[in-house]
Amino acid sequence: MNHIQLAWKNVLRNRRRSFVTIFIAAVGCASILIAGGFALWTYDILIEGASREFGHITVADKSFFAKEEETPMQFGMQQDNRVAEYLEKNPEVATLLPRINYSGLISNGDKSLIFLGTGAELAREAAVRKYFLVVREGAIPRGEPSQLPQILLGVALARNLGAKVGSQLTLIGTTAATGGINAVDVEVAALVSTGWSEVDKRLVFSDIQTAQNLLMTDKISTLSVFMHHLDKVPAMLETLAAYDGEHAYMPWWEQAQYYHSVRALYNRIFGLLGMIIIALVLFSVINTLAMAVVERTREIGTLRALGAHPREIIAQFVREGGIIGLAGVMIGNLVAAAVIWTLPYLRLQMPPPPGRSEGYPLLVAGSPTLTLVTNALIVLLCMGAAWAVSRRAASKPIVDALGHV
Amino acid sequence: MEHPVIELNQVVKHYRIGDNQISALRGVDLQLQARDFAAIRGPSGSGKSTLLNICGLIDRIDGGSYRLAGEDISELDEAACTEIRRKRMGFIFQNYNLVPVMSVFDNVEYPLLLNNVPKAERRALVSDILDKVGLTGFAERKPDQLSGGQRQRVAIARALVKAPLLVIADEPTANLDTDTAEHIVELMKSLGHRLGTSFLIATHDDRMTRHCDKVFSMQDGVIA
Ligand SMILES: Nc1ncnc2c1ncn2[C@@H]1O[C@H](COP(=O)(O)OP(=O)(O)OP(=O)(O)O)[C@@H](O)[C@H]1O
Ligand SMILES: [Mg+2]
Repeated sequence: MNHIQLAWKNVLRNRRRSFVTIFIAAVGCASILIAGGFALWTYDILIEGASREFGHITVADKSFFAKEEETPMQFGMQQDNRVAEYLEKNPEVATLLPRINYSGLISNGDKSLIFLGTGAELAREAAVRKYFLVVREGAIPRGEPSQLPQILLGVALARNLGAKVGSQLTLIGTTAATGGINAVDVEVAALVSTGWSEVDKRLVFSDIQTAQNLLMTDKISTLSVFMHHLDKVPAMLETLAAYDGEHAYMPWWEQAQYYHSVRALYNRIFGLLGMIIIALVLFSVINTLAMAVVERTREIGTLRALGAHPREIIAQFVREGGIIGLAGVMIGNLVAAAVIWTLPYLRLQMPPPPGRSEGYPLLVAGSPTLTLVTNALIVLLCMGAAWAVSRRAASKPIVDALGHV
Repeated sequence: MEHPVIELNQVVKHYRIGDNQISALRGVDLQLQARDFAAIRGPSGSGKSTLLNICGLIDRIDGGSYRLAGEDISELDEAACTEIRRKRMGFIFQNYNLVPVMSVFDNVEYPLLLNNVPKAERRALVSDILDKVGLTGFAERKPDQLSGGQRQRVAIARALVKAPLLVIADEPTANLDTDTAEHIVELMKSLGHRLGTSFLIATHDDRMTRHCDKVFSMQDGVIA
């Protein structure tokens, strides 16, 4: 017999009670892993969404992020510059997308509505945005020759204008140099959705040339940098700042407002949930071990008489708490793993979050860090509970403990 | 010259219940020599258990002095007393007090585990003492699968497995029938002599005292 075997035998002494406690620890562990994993998965897609929208790093004129433009393209930049050249050759960069942000009125002849336009290389832009820019009708133009410049139109904006694929519309905007009014005729190539209903109401994508023609400029607004690895972004920011001080470099996380607000909300909700679960597990373990301690008071007296120190008696109970905790987290981990692995096959959808028109798949991320922290926390709490409830009984006068019935 | 195992000098013990103070021991003098097999008898409430608890270092004295094997231990702290119990004392209880989740073997092994005896040696010592108390073949049984007499033999094995200086036994035969009690006493005595262990036994039982080298009679908290 060794101390661990003895602890195991003691855990099995009142099987039903121990199993209930192990079960509660297991459910607690699994709940934390699943709820936490869901939050992490949500953060993951929000990060992906944000980075697909903004790019991992946005390069712009020094004043672009700091001040409002008073005239269109006031803080624009040349598409060909030192940084662009450098990034083009950098192996860590996956894609480089020039963009022009502009706005104006879009008209079908009878009705004019405000639009927020992005001038971009449409095919590459769509490829990068992937399922964050869904084509509802038509197709993304791939540079086929056409009479009129081709645009992508937000589904809600198209509905408001009564426009379909093939409709001819007019973009009206202010020119960069003089502030005069200019207009270009365009043709709708596809109806698209970002999943954001507010965005889809104003959404126009055109090619760079069309945007430049409307604004009468040769500049672009920004250059979006997409990297192969997210964790290389901070290093790249430093490199760029050192390489060229003429431009401003904005990482994705400083633009991802929605990600930050969801994260702040979820951290609170799931943090509170986690604390409640932990408290339940703790109460259950304390209850079980406290009963065991009371029932075994005379035995504690006997072992003390035989020469066990109070700390050895406490250690005994701490080992038992540890075993209960370990058994609980092991079962909990298995349950969580089973859920994480089966969810993709069930193809469950979450309803659209506030402000979005699209739901997203219900999945749970398996995180080694979360698992490790949760396991350690539960096991340590069980051991701590055992320590707390056995401390007094272990140092009770031996004569009193032996007289206990 | 060999010191007495126990040397009590005017030992006093009080219990306090509310405002009342009960003097359980009122100046006990007692000497127990090495290898003594001694009984304390006396009427109920005379202080036998109290005296045994003090000799076994599971209770403290309120006055007088206690020398164990020549060493004054009256002032030792709890941890030091625990060390002495662990290394030099064995206990036999009226209700056996075996640990129910442990097998016979495990119960007897426990004191050796406390003393960090290496595994192989533990195995040999436990088998040897189980053989001596006649429980070879019962090693894997649980206490609740044994008769009262067998349980008390396990307790004797547990007390003696580390060949202690002193064994304290409070009414070890009170729960046993006459024949069994007789066997238990003989077993304790013969093993005690063989191992050089002194016994101090509290009892009501005159059949028990017949086997003892020494009998102390207690009355109202003193030895008559
Ligand atoms: N924990 C205690 N609290 C208060 N008084 C106690 C306590 N233990 C013993 N006493 C008192 O001390 C006196 C001696 O008790 P003790 O148990 O030593 O007697 P005993 O000789 O062992 O009796 P018995 O033969 O019934 O076992 C009694 O008056 C008893 O009531
Ligand atoms: Mg008594």
